[in-house]
Amino acid sequence: MPQIPQLADQRILTPAQVALALNIISRMDFLRLKAIARLHARGLPPDVSWDDLLQEAFTRAMVGSRRKPQGVAMVAFLAGIMRSLRAEHWRRARGGPGSRESLRIDHQRDLSRAVELRDPGSDLEQALLAREQLDAIERLFAGDSVALGILAGLAEGRSAAQIRADLGLSKTVYDSARKRIRRTFLREGLTCGLN
Amino acid sequence: MRTKLALTTPAAALGRILDRLDRELIEASDEDILEAARDLGMNPLMKGSAAFLGLQSLSLAEFFDSDALKSLLRERAAQKAAAVVAPKRAARRPVERKDSADE
Repeated sequence: MPQIPQLADQRILTPAQVALALNIISRMDFLRLKAIARLHARGLPPDVSWDDLLQEAFTRAMVGSRRKPQGVAMVAFLAGIMRSLRAEHWRRARGGPGSRESLRIDHQRDLSRAVELRDPGSDLEQALLAREQLDAIERLFAGDSVALGILAGLAEGRSAAQIRADLGLSKTVYDSARKRIRRTFLREGLTCGLN
Repeated sequence: MRTKLALTTPAAALGRILDRLDRELIEASDEDILEAARDLGMNPLMKGSAAFLGLQSLSLAEFFDSDALKSLLRERAAQKAAAVVAPKRAARRPVERKDSADE
């Protein structure tokens, strides 16, 4: 069992500080990542916080369990890790493939016939949490029908061009609303550190 | 204009929104971040700015305790163990053959 060096217990050194010292990310990138972590935390089970997500993403990048492809910016790479962590947390909560809690019924030793037992309650929990978060996002843009229309289009998986066509928006109006949306989520991402 | 989110399942709708918005934030310029911070009365260029709140709580102890590091250490330990056991087995084999021949 690896022991934590004595020094590490006394001196708080963050993985982010290490990344900063190594010039892996800039201070602005650090804030960008905080906003992204807080964004993805909206889709997480309640026992996982945004700093858990960011911490895990930094760790995976640093220990090399996730390797950055050439040509991909560090922020985009870490954001990608956080995106897949979000999905992974829900898979674990549901007891799906890759989950430590999953139970396999495998009488004939034929893995292709293995049955995953899922916890149906976690689907309901995820749906309730997601609904809460969607309501919270709607409240952020209350009074901004263009932004809400764009977000509704994104929720349906529509492209920018489809959304613009559906809503009858000019490129200028669309870009301006997108900027408002981005700024709102940046503000939300920078506000505080504890929840 | 339709402004209700989530016509599909809420989780799928939220997932799509978050995935698209994270691209927006990745592409946000430094100026966008500074403007958002200014809206909140923060100046990220100042040392100890409130914008960095929460980020300071990530500790090295947590780094050592993370799932990713634990699984990497387990993987390395298993590889080391396999490397140690394999030559020993190889060295033992002739002796075992001799024993079985004696029987």
